[in-house]
Amino acid sequence: MIDFGRVQKELQECSRDMAASGIKVSPKSDNLARLVGTIPGPIGTPYEGGTFQIDISLPDGYPFEPPKMQFATKVWHPNISSQSGAICLDILKDQWSPALTLKTALLSVQALLSAPEPDDPQDAVVAQQYIREHQTFLGTARYWTESFAKASSLGVEEKVQRLVEMGFAEAHVRSALEAVGGDENLALEKLCSG
Amino acid sequence: METGDEINICSDNEVNDYYGEDANNTDCNYDSLIKEEDSLDSDSDSPVAKKRPRLEGPPDRNYKVLKQSDIRERQEKTIAEVAMVLSVSKAVATVLLRHYNWSAGKVHEAWFSDEDRVRKNLGLLPIIEFPLDSTEVKCGICFDLFPTRDEIVSAACGHPYCVECFRGYIRTSINDGPGCLMLRCPDLSCSAVVDQDMVNSLVSEEEKQKYSTYLYRSYVEENKKIKWCPGPGCEHAIEFDDNQGWDVTCACDFSFCWNCVEDAHRPVDCETVANWMAKNDDESETKTWILAQTKPCPKCAKPIEKNEGCMHMTCHSPCRYQFCWICLGDWHNHINCNGYKEDKRKEVEDAKRHVQKYNHYYERWAAHNLSRLKAVSDLGRVQTEQIEQLSEIHGKTQIELGFIAEAWQQIVECRRVLKWTYAYGYYLPEAEDAKKQLFEFLQGEAEAGLERLHGYAEKEVRQFLNADERSVNFEGFELKLKSLTGVTKKYFEKLVRALENGLSEVQEAGKSYMEEHCISYFEICELPN
Ligand SMILES: [Zn+2]
Ligand SMILES: [Zn+2]
Ligand SMILES: [Zn+2]
Ligand SMILES: [Zn+2]
Ligand SMILES: [Zn+2]
Ligand SMILES: [Zn+2]
Ligand SMILES: [Zn+2]
Repeated sequence: MIDFGRVQKELQECSRDMAASGIKVSPKSDNLARLVGTIPGPIGTPYEGGTFQIDISLPDGYPFEPPKMQFATKVWHPNISSQSGAICLDILKDQWSPALTLKTALLSVQALLSAPEPDDPQDAVVAQQYIREHQTFLGTARYWTESFAKASSLGVEEKVQRLVEMGFAEAHVRSALEAVGGDENLALEKLCSG
Repeated sequence: METGDEINICSDNEVNDYYGEDANNTDCNYDSLIKEEDSLDSDSDSPVAKKRPRLEGPPDRNYKVLKQSDIRERQEKTIAEVAMVLSVSKAVATVLLRHYNWSAGKVHEAWFSDEDRVRKNLGLLPIIEFPLDSTEVKCGICFDLFPTRDEIVSAACGHPYCVECFRGYIRTSINDGPGCLMLRCPDLSCSAVVDQDMVNSLVSEEEKQKYSTYLYRSYVEENKKIKWCPGPGCEHAIEFDDNQGWDVTCACDFSFCWNCVEDAHRPVDCETVANWMAKNDDESETKTWILAQTKPCPKCAKPIEKNEGCMHMTCHSPCRYQFCWICLGDWHNHINCNGYKEDKRKEVEDAKRHVQKYNHYYERWAAHNLSRLKAVSDLGRVQTEQIEQLSEIHGKTQIELGFIAEAWQQIVECRRVLKWTYAYGYYLPEAEDAKKQLFEFLQGEAEAGLERLHGYAEKEVRQFLNADERSVNFEGFELKLKSLTGVTKKYFEKLVRALENGLSEVQEAGKSYMEEHCISYFEICELPN
């Protein structure tokens, strides 16, 4: 059985220093086995400014067994599946210890955003890009942050719509937006010059 | 390599070593083997029942069959020895031995050259004592506060956990598998070991039992010189000393290659066998694997279940091999699963071209394997029924009729060799024409001899089983069966030798080799009737 007493203490502790850590954990349902974690994208990375949601489900053996965590927000990162959000992180698997908490685990996920490990990839396509075309990688990651991890993300489709109406092909519009990290004006410039 | 031993009509009981070095096997006979097995049998818990002489391995064998009781005894002895020499508890001695692959010598060497370093590496820390009067203590797992240290337990490091939580920690680890043998303090920054004494003080009888079973198995699995017998249902292990020839035969009668743990496959090398077996798997199982939720670890073959979204798999302790779920490639040399596709396309083309060739060799490999299994069961019947029957009808002692079992043992062994030569043939480069010719000649010769022997042993004996009285023809039957056995043996010795030399004779003599060294097929026909 899940030790709900401990989960409760974890939630309290987490909300107490949320201002400092920026990390939030809140229950999805009332039985505390399913939760949502929120981490801010680390400063100085292409994830900066984004807010990433992570689905957490606690196995029966928690805290002796690791929590299952998966990105609910789409993210472009070598160690996170761009399709499913699955995370490749040792402490969520065989390196888990019951002395760790949801907060420390989320901090590790956040650290992973700052320091990708392309040699141990979860998403081979992203990892290849990270190694071989680093600039493209940064652009794509920024574009995804812009598109999926920001409150203003909803605007992307409208930007696409507007640029397409100006007479550009949709595929070109999307890749231009992606290359400039989602800025509509820069994208227009790029489209005109190319 | 011709040692001048003429066609031997098998007048003695020498059956133990068909292809080994001829010099050492003179004292190998039924008697010495039977004595040896009697001594195995005399142990009360011995599962060894009916035995027959081994087919392989010289009499001073380079390996030893270990029963459960042998293994336990050795393990306990080693632990006790190390505990005594180092003045540590048995639980600590166990931690040390496990780390040094159960070699007491290596433990002693490491310990006496730098005890502090060994202690630090293995988490064997000096115990930190806490005063019992200290203030409230918080359990590092449930985060509850405890008024005294009474309800708190710790490894040597002193990191505090309540009894319930520590029990849960150990229990989860035990149920997870043999990784529990390397359990450390739950604090990630701490390396303090959780040894067997601590485990036993906290868990149930059943869990203690489980832990001690893992420990027992680790003695074999982490020991560089011992492996489990892969025979079905067999619980023996085989200890191997460096020597030439990997083939071993367990007390359960199962023969296998100690190196790669496949069925015994001399004269074909382990690599060829591995390629061949992988190829066979490839043809039939690839598709079902992709869909399955469980795959065997590509290194140790234990089933690994995928329960995370991530493709990065880590096998259970002690293997801990890391691989990609999709392509089963080594995780650390793994760049891109997609890269595989291009190779794959070419491979399909190649496979089409080779499919006929493969089928040719596979069909024969499989057929000889089947025939061998049939011969094994026939041999059993010969030994339990036929010999008794014949001894009654024809007034011979069972020892006098030993030549029949010998013939069958030869058949079983030759089927095994022949089966593997088809794997060998598949990988023989097509460009090496002369080698291919020699190989096919020797293989054909051996196969023909074997078919003749097998047919004769199977059919000719019937008339004597059905006879009402002693038959004069029986002497002729005996002579011919012995001759066929001897001749077939020679053919196979030659084949085995040639393959082990990589068919190198071809370079020296070419065609003349065949003319000079090959026994004519027709010699057999000149034998008395
Ligand atoms: Zn992974
Ligand atoms: Zn506790
Ligand atoms: Zn500790
Ligand atoms: Zn066995
Ligand atoms: Zn082998
Ligand atoms: Zn493995
Ligand atoms: Zn792969």
